[in-house]
Amino acid sequence: MAAPVPPGAPRQQPPPPDYNPNYQQNPNSLSDNLQNLSLNRPPLMPNSAPRPSPFLPPPFPSSAPSPPLSRPGPPPPGAFPRPSLPPSGSPPPTLPPNGGPARPTGPPFSQPSPFVSRPPSAGNGVVMGPSSGAPSHGSLAPRLGAHPSPIASSTTPSSVPPSVSTGGLVSNGPPAPPFLGGPRFPPSGSAPQQPLMGPLTIGGARVPPQAPSMRPLMGSSGISAQQRPPFSAAHQGTPSSSAPLQGMPSFSAPPQAMSPPVGFPFGQQMQNQPVAPTPIPGSAQPPTMFGMPPPPPLPNQTTAISPVVGQTGGSLAGSSKIDPNQIPRPVPGSSVILHDTRQGNQANPPPPATSDYIVRDTGNCSPRYMRCTINQIPCTVDLLTTSGMQLALLVQPLALPHPSEEPIQLVDFGESGPVRCSRCKGYINPFMKFIDQGRRFICNLCGFTDETPRDYHCNLGPDGRRRDADERPELCRGTVEFVATKEYMVRDPMPAVYFFLIDVSMNAIQTGATAAACSSINQVIADLPEGPRTMVGIATFDSTIHFYNLKRALQQPLMLIVPDILDVYTPLQTDVIVPLSECRQHLEVLLESIPSMFQNSRTAESAFGAAIKAVFLAMKSTGGKLLVFQSVLPSVGIGALSAREAEGRSNISAGEKEAHKLLQPADKTLKELAIEFAEFQVCVDVFITTQTYVDIASISVIPKTTGGQVYYYYPFSALSDPAKLYNDLRWNVTRPQGFEAVMRVRCSQGIQVQQYHGNFCKRIPTDVDLPGIDCDKTIMVTLKHDDKLQDGTECAFQCALLYTTVYGQRRIRVTTLSLPCTNNLSNLFRMADLDTQFVCFLKQAANEIPSTPPLNLREQVTNFCINILLSYRKFCATVSSSGQLILPEALKLLPLYTLALIKSTGLRIDGRVDDRSFWITYVSSVSTPSAIPLVHPRMIAIHDLDTQEGNESLIPHSIPLSSDHVSDDGIFLLENGQEGLMYIGSSVDSNILQQLFGISSVDEIRTQQYDNPLSKKLNDVTNEIRRRRCSYLRLKLCKKGDPSGLSFFSCLIEDKVPTGGLSYVEFLVHVHRQIQMKMSS
Amino acid sequence: MSEMANTDPEGIDGVRMTWNVWPRTKVEASKCVIPLAASISVIRHHPDIPTLPYTPLRCKTCSAILNSFSRVDFTAKIWICPFCFLRNHFPPHYSLISETNLPAELYPQYTTVQYTLSDPNVNPNNPMNAAPAPSASPVFLFVLDTCMIEEEFGFVKLALKRAIGLLPDNALVGFVSFGTQARVHELGFSDMSKVYVFRGSKEISKDQIMEQLGIGVSGRRAPTGYQQKGMQNGFPNTGVARFLLPASECEYTLNSLLDELQTDQWPVAPGNRASRCTGVALSVAAGLLGACLPGTGARIIALVGGPCTEGLGTIVSKDLSDPVRSHKDLDKDAAPYFKKAVKFYDNLAKQLVSQGHVLDLFASALDQVGIAEMKVAVERTGGLVVLSESFGHSVFKDSFKHIFEDGEQSLGLCFNGMLEINCSKDIKVQGIIGPCTSMEKKGPNVADTVVGEGNTTAWKMCGLDKSTCLTVLFDLSSSERSNTPGTVNPQLYIQFLTSYQNPEGHTLLRVTTVTRRWIDSAVSSEELVQGFDQETAAVVMARITSLKMETEEGFDATRWLDRNLIRLCSKFGDYRKDDPSSFALNPCFSLFPQFMFNLRRSQFVQVFNNSPDETAYFRMLLNRENIANAAVMIQPSLISYSFNSLPQPALLDVASIAADRILLLDSYFSLVVFHGMTIAQWRNMGYQNQPEHQAFAQLLQAPQDDAQMIIRDRFPIPRMVVCDQHGSQARFLLAKLNPSATYNNAHDMAAGSDVIFTDDVSLQVFFEHLQRLAVQS
Repeated sequence: MAAPVPPGAPRQQPPPPDYNPNYQQNPNSLSDNLQNLSLNRPPLMPNSAPRPSPFLPPPFPSSAPSPPLSRPGPPPPGAFPRPSLPPSGSPPPTLPPNGGPARPTGPPFSQPSPFVSRPPSAGNGVVMGPSSGAPSHGSLAPRLGAHPSPIASSTTPSSVPPSVSTGGLVSNGPPAPPFLGGPRFPPSGSAPQQPLMGPLTIGGARVPPQAPSMRPLMGSSGISAQQRPPFSAAHQGTPSSSAPLQGMPSFSAPPQAMSPPVGFPFGQQMQNQPVAPTPIPGSAQPPTMFGMPPPPPLPNQTTAISPVVGQTGGSLAGSSKIDPNQIPRPVPGSSVILHDTRQGNQANPPPPATSDYIVRDTGNCSPRYMRCTINQIPCTVDLLTTSGMQLALLVQPLALPHPSEEPIQLVDFGESGPVRCSRCKGYINPFMKFIDQGRRFICNLCGFTDETPRDYHCNLGPDGRRRDADERPELCRGTVEFVATKEYMVRDPMPAVYFFLIDVSMNAIQTGATAAACSSINQVIADLPEGPRTMVGIATFDSTIHFYNLKRALQQPLMLIVPDILDVYTPLQTDVIVPLSECRQHLEVLLESIPSMFQNSRTAESAFGAAIKAVFLAMKSTGGKLLVFQSVLPSVGIGALSAREAEGRSNISAGEKEAHKLLQPADKTLKELAIEFAEFQVCVDVFITTQTYVDIASISVIPKTTGGQVYYYYPFSALSDPAKLYNDLRWNVTRPQGFEAVMRVRCSQGIQVQQYHGNFCKRIPTDVDLPGIDCDKTIMVTLKHDDKLQDGTECAFQCALLYTTVYGQRRIRVTTLSLPCTNNLSNLFRMADLDTQFVCFLKQAANEIPSTPPLNLREQVTNFCINILLSYRKFCATVSSSGQLILPEALKLLPLYTLALIKSTGLRIDGRVDDRSFWITYVSSVSTPSAIPLVHPRMIAIHDLDTQEGNESLIPHSIPLSSDHVSDDGIFLLENGQEGLMYIGSSVDSNILQQLFGISSVDEIRTQQYDNPLSKKLNDVTNEIRRRRCSYLRLKLCKKGDPSGLSFFSCLIEDKVPTGGLSYVEFLVHVHRQIQMKMSS
Repeated sequence: MSEMANTDPEGIDGVRMTWNVWPRTKVEASKCVIPLAASISVIRHHPDIPTLPYTPLRCKTCSAILNSFSRVDFTAKIWICPFCFLRNHFPPHYSLISETNLPAELYPQYTTVQYTLSDPNVNPNNPMNAAPAPSASPVFLFVLDTCMIEEEFGFVKLALKRAIGLLPDNALVGFVSFGTQARVHELGFSDMSKVYVFRGSKEISKDQIMEQLGIGVSGRRAPTGYQQKGMQNGFPNTGVARFLLPASECEYTLNSLLDELQTDQWPVAPGNRASRCTGVALSVAAGLLGACLPGTGARIIALVGGPCTEGLGTIVSKDLSDPVRSHKDLDKDAAPYFKKAVKFYDNLAKQLVSQGHVLDLFASALDQVGIAEMKVAVERTGGLVVLSESFGHSVFKDSFKHIFEDGEQSLGLCFNGMLEINCSKDIKVQGIIGPCTSMEKKGPNVADTVVGEGNTTAWKMCGLDKSTCLTVLFDLSSSERSNTPGTVNPQLYIQFLTSYQNPEGHTLLRVTTVTRRWIDSAVSSEELVQGFDQETAAVVMARITSLKMETEEGFDATRWLDRNLIRLCSKFGDYRKDDPSSFALNPCFSLFPQFMFNLRRSQFVQVFNNSPDETAYFRMLLNRENIANAAVMIQPSLISYSFNSLPQPALLDVASIAADRILLLDSYFSLVVFHGMTIAQWRNMGYQNQPEHQAFAQLLQAPQDDAQMIIRDRFPIPRMVVCDQHGSQARFLLAKLNPSATYNNAHDMAAGSDVIFTDDVSLQVFFEHLQRLAVQS
């Protein structure tokens, strides 16, 4: 091939091979998958989130803070969208705008689409928001039909089927786009967008939602910039305004309109938003003002600099109270943002990770793949230290793109392989500078001057760029994929091997976990990649390990038992793992018979460690994915664990002190095992379907080291969990992913990688080994200075991921990000990326939990927040208002997130050990868009879905997480991406109950879809959330007065917690005091 | 010899002794050269043996059983034990005893009687006869090698299926297959085929096996646990129902399992042997039986197609360039795996014996499979062994079928045998050569020197059949017998008590009491000579020689046999000193030198022509067959068929070959029908098919019929070779003939005869030397 194709020539073929094979054939296929899953893809989310909840109701002072629930909840039956395809097809028509195709698939596929040319959808006219709204309605309809179930959380599984059959559309699928963003916003450049928002908001009520919201994320800064003259250095200045936003009534339009009733604490700056309005939708009363205790804690800062939190109080009554309505809250942008990664040869700061955006790769990589905590790089380590912020990258190399984005291009350099710097081995990228008529080039990473390979030579144009730069993706795109040559292979690319390992101990059988696992696997078999290279194996275990010989020649599967669980082995060299095409029938028969075969088993023991080891031995020659379904504490064999939790409880004195030890792995056995797995490219995912303690702290070491993931279904319910299990499993095998991967991040001179965090195995300091990598996995890369950088230059980061696709192609995905360096502290604050910054901190905190007593850790967390604000106050804020709490616009939500983190599952002491362990594990690989809701969930009102017309997003606007906003006559859904809590007030209109749940009183709750608009709408909302999150929400119903109600209220993090957790307002006061103390000292 | 075969030299007792008259003293005995020994066919069937439905009377002190040699005082109702001379009162139920009303065991002709033991506790001194309930069914655990080529595998599967079809419905059947790993098939699992896989490379204890098979709980007992009661009410644990099923229930399962069973799927690197874990498979099988059915008669039937190369019991490395050990390697201690493997099988034997289970070995391979190492386990448990070249060969096929066949030819496989010997004072037992295990039961009659399984007066025979034969070696007390009652009692007595469980599950006790006369050899050498049984003596010498070759390092068998023969001839020959021509032997000894000549040439002594496996195989059969059969192994019989005469024995000499004769050679392991040149030509021309040559057809048929007769009674089935003079297969005959005609003296021979190309000495030369040496002073 080399000959004909000039090196470096991009591959043209559209479908080519590329990328994820998953999608190859049918662009929609991906989408299909998603739909089915009912997962939503997160990427979109960003925006979406915002949109819905434009209005934050007035703030309330609330008391009970509680972290979001991280664990998965019980859930809903899901809609299994198998049918997805069809739907997608049809939808298009319906959805006029872009939405059509894209949507359906929306999230998920977005990825694929890229390649494919999803664009079409875009073509529809709406540039930006392909997905956006217009279609929404249309699309909705179909969807509705499809899944009824989603909504009903409680619904029984049965419901599911129906949905499927309908086929149609899965609700998940096509989400309605939020707003029609497209139209609305002119596609201006990326950055600009925000500004747009600003104006909009201001101007018209129209866009209600976002405007207000903006602030948090993008908005504010943007706005400020545009509208106002830049304020001081800080630029955005929108003051604290942020806080204000919220108040809108639930209805969209109004929000802005709001009258600014009461306090706008921030007076002046606020100009833009006067903050809203009081009006709160139903629930809350007009904002109550909260009194701040101490006087003026937070004065507003007038300075342009940053908004302050408002001190609403100050202005307000002057009473020294903080108006809860005025404090900063996330305000979702409702529309899709268009983002060019570079503009005018300048890196363009990315939109918030949680917003809905469409990226055009103009040199820098899309922020989906890699984003930095600060969008300008401090020249010196001192500057960084002063800021209190940290410098790190979040890398999500296979992230799902938006369907409307251009697919990543595949470049084949033929036998010679991609052009690389001969010194640092960095890959060719748009920032390599060609000199000397193109004969040589300077590496932007190490500065070395390399000879251009002869056949890659090209003359330079007048602008100093190569003449062919725009035709060669590797010279004009921040993300490209290279075809790997033999040089990058130590062996032939491995086949896609999927091995399912199922717990069949007594408990698993009796709780229905085994049956659920078998049926999920049975359904998922059809979704595995087609082709001769797809291999499958199956094994079960209790106190022994049972393999199955699936060879076609046999009349029926042969069960092979490995009884020695202290020193395991594989019972067959071949035939345990066979090509899928040869064993479908046997597999089906087997999966159907497993639950009954062990029906009478009385074996309570579970040899988890031995079983995975044995399976590993069988997979050793190829590597592959091992999916384990575990239901009880592994009690025997290799790596047996004990019920430490109970032991800890019985020994209270030791327990108290050493409680966090329970979050550490019990011993090294599993770790050693995991390292061995990783070495042979075996990636382990563990699905824990249990009703008891299983010591996730120990078990999670395996997936964590092998690039896998833990799924946790607690307490497992045979009624409602199988749907989630199926959807999770399906997404697990269908999402874009790669095998036997190696990743390395290279940085320009002056910066180096300090450490990698995430789910992988590290054998040498520079690289991470990823037996499996998929679109959901994110790796945090912390950076450190080893030299000064030059102001005005750019500093580049390049992530190279070498992996094998599920169809056996070896690829190198190279993602390059080049950011300007600065010596200006205020630039750092201005360019700080809140989401990334916070998520990095979240991951680090999670990492510390097992080794640090919780109280210390909370203090650390708080100090992190305080230090940043202190630095800002000290060096960037005007001196004037020492009495005010001043927040940098970009980071104004930091206190809220920090508070949420303190109250999160992981940092709580009163939670179950396994819940905390799971939280820690989940956080270690979670992507930025999913991390935020995990800590700071979204709450929406659903009793009035009907009346919320005018909101173009399917999902209603979110409500502040405060009990003031929860009324007894309402129904609220609170979701964190993992589970959704549906709270039903005690005095809900029975009519609504009847419509939603088919019951007349709160006492008989069950969920199901009923044929009426309200119910359908709820379904749609749920599915939309699932789709966007790429996660099947586990729905739980909560009622006031019982434990489920308590768990709901514990998620309202703005509330004060009786046991000592501060309310949001109190926390702000606390932060302010600390800053003042430090300032004065 | 054929004369002897026609009579029944063993009689009702099944006992043959080297000397039927015993010298009085140890010194005298040693002068007799040939040791005092008895060969006993422990449960040989004889129509005259009465079966008594009651329990026997035992002497209170020596526990010998009342027998026809006991003196009875009818009035006092007392009997005197002939062994210890204690006076025992008859119990009340014998009160009707009188000179005219004798119980069967006192009839003089019933020196052997058989008791049916209904209550296992009858014999409290015998811990081994606590047999399971009479209803116990036979148990067969098949252990099948899967490392073989498809063709062989097909044969063996076919044989297995046929065997399973022949099993009685109530027989319990289990199945273990092995290759790189050992697999226990759970036949009682109905949902699908289910096997437990054990790694071949790992040593695994019995407890681990039980635990891993999930049958651990009740298996925890000590190895002798089966003495305890509790077995009667069915089986103590569920392992039985899972792994061992009645043939009637699992025949279908087994057949389909065999249909699907594949040869071992583990890859074999080029230039390597298949990885085969015979040792682990056997120990797993033993563990399984030990856990499920301790103390119940059960057989492990191993079908092995090659050497063990993996884990325990390995006999050779996997590398094909490493040959399997030869005799030379063993001699030079150049067989690195041998001792370890033997040790392993020795331990396995102990385990099996303690459980009362039998290991049968069916080896079919062109190369060795390790019988030499496994011999100990097979022999100690009384197992059967068959060695053949292929599972498709009739030696295997027919032998294997034979085991399961009912009826006349059935082997009468019995279990849980136990032999006890009581003998007169001054007689000591050195040990037993044959398929049994010493139980280490010490007593006054245990000799200081041990030969074979010794140090005891009780032996365990886990498996035995109607042809099982043991050789007991006796010694005399070394003390000068001053005050013994020997003077008053010229007779010596030996009582053999054999308890066993027959195929129907009944426990029987056979009591054989024999008496012989003491003589003072110094006084009457003549009587001593008359009491010599040369056939038995030859066999005993062969067995001792084999044993010594295996156990004594650097043992020179030929030299030892020669020396003994010369001593014997010197003592019992008639000659003038230093005058070889004057040498003459009493007819009672006349055949003995010829036996020795053939023994020296036999596979038992000339091992270098055979592999260690073959040697081990031959020796195991030598040790367990009766005297007549064993004698044939040493000195084959040759029958000649011709037009001129009836079939008649011919000299085992090359001179017996004639062009117009058919010879039938029976060397026990093979039967050779040898057609003289002329006969072969006629046959090739098809004369036998022409009506006018019916006589020729009959002549051709006669040796075949006779061969079939022999085959029918024999286990294992001998290899049948039909050959023609000067044909390549003729070597099977020539190797056994006395090379009286070689290329050295071919010109002396008559036409139509044949010569053997060898430098071996002929019988004539051997005799000349013997005479010369015997008469030397």
